[in-house]
Amino acid sequence: MHDKLIQKLEILSDAAKYDASCASGSAGKRQAGKTDKTGIGSLTGGSGICHSFTPDGRCVSLLKILMTNYCIYDCHYCINRVSSNVRRARFSVKETVDLTLNFYKRNYIEGLFLSSGIVGSPDLTMESMVRIAKSLRLDHGFKGYIHLKTIPNASPELQAEAGLYADRLSINVEMPTQPSLNKYAPEKDLGAIHGAMNTLKDKITEHKVDKTHSGKRPPRFAPGGQSTQMIIGADDSNDKIILGTSVKLYSEQKLRRVYYSAFSPIPDASQVLPLKPAPLIREHRLYQADWLLRFYGFTLDEIVHDEMLDMDHDPKLAWALRNRHIFPIDLNKADKMLLLRVPGLGARTVQKILSIRRHTKLNWIDLTKMRLPLKKLKPFISVGDYSPNIHLLDSNNFELQFKQPKQFELFGG
Amino acid sequence: MKTVAITSVPGFDEWREASRECLAHGIPPEDIIWQNVQSVQDDLFGHQEQTRATNKHQIKHTIPKSALVLFKYALCHSDTKRFALCYRVLWRMIYENRNLIQLKTDEDIIQLYMLVKAVKRDAYKMSAFLRFKELEIEGKEHFVAWYEPEHYSLEIKLDFFRTRFKNMRWSILTPYRGAHWDTETLLLEDNPDPSAVPDDDRIEKYWLTYYANIFNPARIKTNAMLNQMPKKYWKNMPETSLIDDMIKQSGARAYKMIIDGNKH
Repeated sequence: MHDKLIQKLEILSDAAKYDASCASGSAGKRQAGKTDKTGIGSLTGGSGICHSFTPDGRCVSLLKILMTNYCIYDCHYCINRVSSNVRRARFSVKETVDLTLNFYKRNYIEGLFLSSGIVGSPDLTMESMVRIAKSLRLDHGFKGYIHLKTIPNASPELQAEAGLYADRLSINVEMPTQPSLNKYAPEKDLGAIHGAMNTLKDKITEHKVDKTHSGKRPPRFAPGGQSTQMIIGADDSNDKIILGTSVKLYSEQKLRRVYYSAFSPIPDASQVLPLKPAPLIREHRLYQADWLLRFYGFTLDEIVHDEMLDMDHDPKLAWALRNRHIFPIDLNKADKMLLLRVPGLGARTVQKILSIRRHTKLNWIDLTKMRLPLKKLKPFISVGDYSPNIHLLDSNNFELQFKQPKQFELFGG
Repeated sequence: MKTVAITSVPGFDEWREASRECLAHGIPPEDIIWQNVQSVQDDLFGHQEQTRATNKHQIKHTIPKSALVLFKYALCHSDTKRFALCYRVLWRMIYENRNLIQLKTDEDIIQLYMLVKAVKRDAYKMSAFLRFKELEIEGKEHFVAWYEPEHYSLEIKLDFFRTRFKNMRWSILTPYRGAHWDTETLLLEDNPDPSAVPDDDRIEKYWLTYYANIFNPARIKTNAMLNQMPKKYWKNMPETSLIDDMIKQSGARAYKMIIDGNKH
């Protein structure tokens, strides 16, 4: 009996590792047993805790598993597609619930991230997933984190029920364009995915904004919002197309987070796929660009000059190198939006500079005390007693000094 | 010269008491020697002045709550210089600049933030890497963990564990102090016995199975892992026993994925 469970766990966690998301935060604060003697768990309010790290550098925060890897669909990039020869398994509702609780009690995890292959029909699959979340919440008073990967074609009623128990819902768009979906995931339709996302978006905002006419709030609905994932480098979409898709998902579907997953070879792969994995550096640059778009006030056209991001320099530095005329920037005078554009200054450092500026004027010595990346900053800034050699910015081989030795391996191991 | 001996760890309450007294007597930071338990024993013949309660007209000094929070963290650091540093910052806030803690280019403030940061990181890692093992005591499940923080982080994280596992019976043992929770009361015990922690746990094998399989051998980034989870933490985390083999076999596994993928 036990050995069988180990085998299932092997298959169904192995199948879940291609999903990049491990976030377990931003769903607010709560705790079990505040007033009674039942239930377990808490959310601390900040971003969730990383309880371990695997040798791929990823954080282990949630029990990330598939309910089943049986699937009726035939998406080429997916190891669980119907035409693949992988071993198949399925967890029962009780097994999933027990495993989550037992892991949680030992402080291994923050909660559960459950996705699934489509077994029977989208509705049947979604129904079982909802039953797992419901049992954790109602039978066991579980207040830890639950992320459900919803099935796009499941009924709106089931989607709505999922949101009552989950902290976060996600639907993977997988490919940035409909032609790519047609080629790699013939059963998936971008319009239907956007439609499902919009339904969830309306529910999420409904809870946040409105009180009903009786003055009561609608029930709690996925307080951590929704997220999605795109596979990078399986199709030939360029970075501008990928980031353009993200910008729309953030503004129109109000997604909390878009994840990028560099295509990585899967056992028993389909012929349509490229033979080699996409370079991890590309995934890394997309995350950096995504960050700049959301928190640093950059526009898509500013970030992606060409069709592809610069692989040699991070996107902010690349932008600065293309816009040398606005530098050097005076750290004592520049406004927040301008400070955020200086290579080497993060949002937190900018906040620090603004707060120090209220009390004293910044000089070079202060920058050394703040442990800033001075070598990177030096040509782009001026302070009270320092300004850079102007010719440096204009020199032809200026950008060479930022070139870094290759850090990312194309192939693991 | 006044000598103040702090006899407990981390010593926040004693420090606060002593600091109030020193402020009331107007003793500047450079005239105080702060000692912790160990250094008191080394200095048996040093003279400890008795100045307690000689000054009746105490002035009430107030400082912003944000500063007190910083002191609380800093005083959980294991470095003995924490007492003197916090008093010096306190003194300077009162006599020099009330907003001193915002001056992040000041040498004392930089030091203070370094202590705070080290303690916060250590405490966070405790909430992340501590592992409970299950015991049965009088027919009820009881969870026990042994953890070795670098600083006095148990004090920082007690509320976290009490909130998250409120309806669970548990004991957290560290080299300097243990905490026992029976779903209602918290009991503290100095220098607890680590042999109370069992070697085995009935669920651990599932955790190891999960850890080994959720990892993607096609994207090894050992340094990223080590930055977040340095080896000093590995000792009490069961899954870390798998890491060496996982890395060794990853090349072959990733290669196999590609070869298998190209067979068609």
